[in-house]
Amino acid sequence: MSDQHSGTADGTDTSAATASGTEASDTDTASADAATAGAASQPLLRVEDLQKSYGDETVLRGISFDLDKRDVEVIIGPSGSGKSTMLRCVNRLTEFQGGAIYLDGESVMAMNDNDLRRRVGMVFQDINLFAHLTALQNVTLGLRKVRGMGKEAAREKAMDQLDRVGLASQADSYPAELSGGQKQRVGIARALAMDPELLLFDEPTSALDPELVGEVLEVMRDLAEGGMTMLVVTHEMGFARRAASSLMFLDEGRIVERGPPEQLFDDPEHDRTAEFLQRLTTISEEV
Amino acid sequence: MVLSLASPPALDAVDWVALAQFESGDWAFVREQLPYLARGFVVTLLLTLTSIVLGFLAGFPMGAIEVYGRGPLRSFVYGAGVVLRAIPIVVILVFMFFVAPIPLPGGQFAFDVPRVGSVSFGRSAFLAATVGLGLRSAAYQAQIFRGALQSVSGGQMEAARSVGMSRLQGIRHVVLPQALRRSIPGFQNEFTIVLKDTSIAFAIGLTELFARADNLFTQRTTATLELFLFISLVYFIMTFVTNRSLDYLGDYYAIPGGDR
Repeated sequence: MSDQHSGTADGTDTSAATASGTEASDTDTASADAATAGAASQPLLRVEDLQKSYGDETVLRGISFDLDKRDVEVIIGPSGSGKSTMLRCVNRLTEFQGGAIYLDGESVMAMNDNDLRRRVGMVFQDINLFAHLTALQNVTLGLRKVRGMGKEAAREKAMDQLDRVGLASQADSYPAELSGGQKQRVGIARALAMDPELLLFDEPTSALDPELVGEVLEVMRDLAEGGMTMLVVTHEMGFARRAASSLMFLDEGRIVERGPPEQLFDDPEHDRTAEFLQRLTTISEEV
Repeated sequence: MVLSLASPPALDAVDWVALAQFESGDWAFVREQLPYLARGFVVTLLLTLTSIVLGFLAGFPMGAIEVYGRGPLRSFVYGAGVVLRAIPIVVILVFMFFVAPIPLPGGQFAFDVPRVGSVSFGRSAFLAATVGLGLRSAAYQAQIFRGALQSVSGGQMEAARSVGMSRLQGIRHVVLPQALRRSIPGFQNEFTIVLKDTSIAFAIGLTELFARADNLFTQRTTATLELFLFISLVYFIMTFVTNRSLDYLGDYYAIPGGDR
């Protein structure tokens, strides 16, 4: 699988270089500049002109943004706008055809995908806890098999993470014995245990019963306040208002508007943003 | 017992004592021949085990190749499965015994019993039957396992990859343990089918349980019902015990709260 991936990457790089040699070297200089300017000014995540299509269908049409350490970016947009796809490009669960993504100055295409995913955690909409393992084992599996930790050390670290999401008492429960909200909190603990530099959230509360959404958002707010860098696809506008450092509105594979949440909520530049936000608010009020 | 199609004689004409002795005589015959039948039972049991084990060892990798493999290897495995599942087991067994054995260096043939000194024991029906039943079972066990692997949702693998596990690690630690559990019911079925189909090895002269009962029946044709009732009971008990054991295995490994 990874062979295929790097094959695509090489192909893309070569075609980009032949199409416009100057652009490619510009990019190199830019990242080199960023590196020399010092780690402090280098964004943790840089997405540059990201393009992705599934066959004939173009999903992402050139997305660029930077994310600094400790930033919390909330991404909103209508269904099919490319939010999840963009997230999946960042940890290469899906491959992209054009543009580049840098994690701490290093192109993700140049990295081993397992190493990349160790550094970029992910929380899924459909949670995907390992069904045959207890909550604790869900968290320790990565520590044991990927980080090579011993049984006791992994257990200790996993218990700390479960404690962080308020589920230490459920360590020995199996996924089917937990509520949706508890499951998703274990999902977060599983991602946190790997000490990720960046956490991706793909609609983490969309599959939950309404009364269970709060406990998950609370954990996410705690993480944000604790300085975790997060890229969050969600339509929980309360969370966006309170925890996001920046809000991004995506539509048809492009960033329509991006800025501080207050600005997008109160004084959006584009009518489309205003309409979409209003629709979201109306729906949540009706509910 | 003798079933007569002739019109029933008047009640007082029946010699009840003689009839009773006659019937118990047939059951006594079965009892006398128990050691002979027991040897057939052992052959049946052994053949079931060797065939199931061969089927498992070949079938589960075949199932995995059908799901994860690609290229000529996958095509070969897929094709072999299609062929094996399309041919009646009696044809496969006859083929294995009469056609498949190729000459080996040293003048022996495949499936021959190893020679001791200059003494030759001829071809082993047991070996040929094991290979025939085992390969056919492999083709079916591969399908059981393929279905189980495919039933584990793709999200499980994505989650494994998302914490930095390789594809192989994801298969080994996340997909496989769940797929094996889901294979148990299908495997249960396959186990009983192989057990009962060992009786078809009769066609290549293997003296397993059914063949021995058949031999006895030709010796004493009045004992047909008794003999075949008796071996049916033996097959039933074997199947029943196997099923209950595998039920227990399934319960033992069941994931608390269900598996989703």
